[in-house]
Amino acid sequence: MTLPRNSPARLRTTLAAAAALATTAAAPLQAQSPAEGAPMFTPVTWERLVDAADEPHNWLMYNGTLDSQRFSRLDHIDRSNVADLELKWAHHIPRLDRAETTPLVVDGVMFITESPSNVVAVDAATGRPFWRYDHPLPDDLRICCGRNNRGVAILDELLFMSTLDAHLVAIDARTGSLVWNREVADHRGGYSKTAAPLVVKDRVVTGIAGGEFGIRGFLDAYDARTGELEWRTYTIPGPDHPDNLTWAGDSWRTGGSPTWITGSYDPELNLVYWGTGNPGPDWNGEVRPGDNLYSDSVLALDGDTGEMSWYFQFTPHDIHDWDAIQIPVLADIELAGEPRQAMLWANRNGFYYTLDRATGEFLLGEAFAHQTWAEGLDSNGRPIRRPNTSPSRTGTLVAPIAGGATNWWSPAYSPRTGLLYVNAFDGEALFFIRDEEYVEGDTYLGGGTETPLPIDHYHSAIRAIDPATGDVRWEFPMTPRSRAGVLATAGDLVFSASVDGYFYALDAESGAPLWQISLGGRVNASPMSYAVGGRQFVTMTIGNTLYTFGLDE
Amino acid sequence: MRRTTIAHLSGIAVLMAVAAVPWHAAAQAQESENPFTSRIDVRMGRQSYQAQCSTCHGINATGNPEVGGPDLSTGQFQRADGDPGLFRVIRDGIDGTAMIGLGADATEQSVWQIVTFLRSLAPAGVDTGGSAAAGRALFAGESDCARCHMVNGDGGRLGPDLSFVGDRRTPAELASDLVDPDAEVLPRWWTITATGPGGETVEGLRMSEDTFTYRIMDADENLRAFSKYGDWSYERTRASTMPGYAATLTVQERTDIVAYLYSLRRDR
Repeated sequence: MTLPRNSPARLRTTLAAAAALATTAAAPLQAQSPAEGAPMFTPVTWERLVDAADEPHNWLMYNGTLDSQRFSRLDHIDRSNVADLELKWAHHIPRLDRAETTPLVVDGVMFITESPSNVVAVDAATGRPFWRYDHPLPDDLRICCGRNNRGVAILDELLFMSTLDAHLVAIDARTGSLVWNREVADHRGGYSKTAAPLVVKDRVVTGIAGGEFGIRGFLDAYDARTGELEWRTYTIPGPDHPDNLTWAGDSWRTGGSPTWITGSYDPELNLVYWGTGNPGPDWNGEVRPGDNLYSDSVLALDGDTGEMSWYFQFTPHDIHDWDAIQIPVLADIELAGEPRQAMLWANRNGFYYTLDRATGEFLLGEAFAHQTWAEGLDSNGRPIRRPNTSPSRTGTLVAPIAGGATNWWSPAYSPRTGLLYVNAFDGEALFFIRDEEYVEGDTYLGGGTETPLPIDHYHSAIRAIDPATGDVRWEFPMTPRSRAGVLATAGDLVFSASVDGYFYALDAESGAPLWQISLGGRVNASPMSYAVGGRQFVTMTIGNTLYTFGLDE
Repeated sequence: MRRTTIAHLSGIAVLMAVAAVPWHAAAQAQESENPFTSRIDVRMGRQSYQAQCSTCHGINATGNPEVGGPDLSTGQFQRADGDPGLFRVIRDGIDGTAMIGLGADATEQSVWQIVTFLRSLAPAGVDTGGSAAAGRALFAGESDCARCHMVNGDGGRLGPDLSFVGDRRTPAELASDLVDPDAEVLPRWWTITATGPGGETVEGLRMSEDTFTYRIMDADENLRAFSKYGDWSYERTRASTMPGYAATLTVQERTDIVAYLYSLRRDR
């Protein structure tokens, strides 16, 4: 099947194809036809996960590698030929809801999660299924934002998946059989699970959702083989810890701070990095005076014990629902002439941050999107709030919106261009405060928001941020906004999608559009790339269909 | 038989509530205008309604004949006049009936939010003070509205179809639309000017726009589609193409047109 190609876009590929960018050599990929009927899946050891970048034909975890750069070292598809991309196959997701999955690929087998909490294994070359696992769910789920699942993790021959009833399950990767099933929390208390777990050594590290239900957030690690809980670190410290004083009275018990997106891991520092969500109730901060630690923060935890090494709070005492639920992108960069072990973070609150990931030190921060709530950041990275930006009874107009200047959708970092690619939105909303009693298992919001104008009034873009300065190097505008993640590749391409159903490729250096296709559905997922038999593919979920594209060979 | 029992029991409840809280003292704290009228309040009001009121008045507030709770979804209330009256009934109940009220412990916010929720089910009846028949004649005739606006299949395509405009605009909003059409222009009615490589231009109403393309209707009602990354450039204008009628129509004429437009609704 050949899809219509966009000829003007193809003309643009003549622009500076394969310019001398090389700071990271693309890994070699042997072009070979897969032998008919040859064995496909092989077990994924911890060593393979650490060195995932060395096998770019596979996509072994949610963000590709432990540093979460969502950068594919595959370069067969590049600026000179991306306009020739063709649809290879599609997989229809039977349950209609928000499709937020990023599939994994292991030696020719793709693992796709589906709404509500299911997983299917398919041949990555054809999309045809080997098996499926449908997780049974109770009727009384407590979920804020659709019946979704973002992906699995793998270790050896086990897949690990979060479920909407707040369980963690281990599934046999060859058959789809359930191996173990652990209740992480009681879903009736407002807990749910949607994010792909992260494997660290022989443990499965996994977070929790429920920030709109007055939960007390935590991050857990389970023994991969047995499913036994090895450690739990609460994202709100208990009364035995001095940081508990950043919550007035008993407000810490219902303070939210969930952990509903996947974190990252640095094997050298043995640190797990994880973002935390909004304090609860979302918009009524009057019931929880104080900084509300460790909501809206990034936590650095010991990879063996879960003990906290450091934290950095982006939005102290948040009253706008600006979860720090973004992917911690780990990159070694040069900053002011010095090599730094950095963490790159474009936050929902409208500011971009470069942190030292060994110490948590704030290195720089700049607004990357329209924001009206802060004068800027002080020398420690703490926001300097503007007056009259709190939610009010009649509504206070503030930018960004509650959904943020960006959100959970993955950014991408290319070590070849040294740029972080972020999906950004320049919106504004009216924020309202309301009194609300906490009732276990009910929503606990303390207000709400309204967007004063139709969405087309606002500006949205993929922005390329220089992590050494915080400057936006270029932007690619989108109409209207997007809810898609970003993929960068060694072909110097940036792939993303717009909410109106386009899947597209940009020049990673300039932002110029090189290829696009209208697939028509709403977009809530992130693209990824893999190869089978030496042929590179790019996969994206749009609407309720997962599409895989490749070149005609 | 069942009805008698319920009335009897709730009568006791009313007595107890009255004994516990002096009615006047509680009423004094109440504001005369509902301060909680946003969509958030509709949502929270629905939650409170379902927890506190739905047993007797039905889950959708359409009444429960079994227990005698009347329909609250029509916008007409037998025992309450205006929002403050509705507030008092919800909080204090109606003496001698099964309607017991939430009591003085209920926060003002939660009571007002139930008022807001009930109001959201049916807009209050409005007297526009104009003649819909006169407005209709003006619309199709002298003031030439039908040149751009369609009503029930008759009229032009260069403005919004007004067949059911009474469902989505209040009389006050319609009156404002007539004199200040630029105040609130939906993106569908922005103008796009496309300029070709030879300097030729095409102007049209923005039917839809996305990341890579846009589609317009030109002044001759032709449908046209353009690519953003081709040879043509484009510009958006957010002003309305409709003129204001403050100078060209009298107040009475505008009031009559509003009366006509507000009468344009779906059959309920």
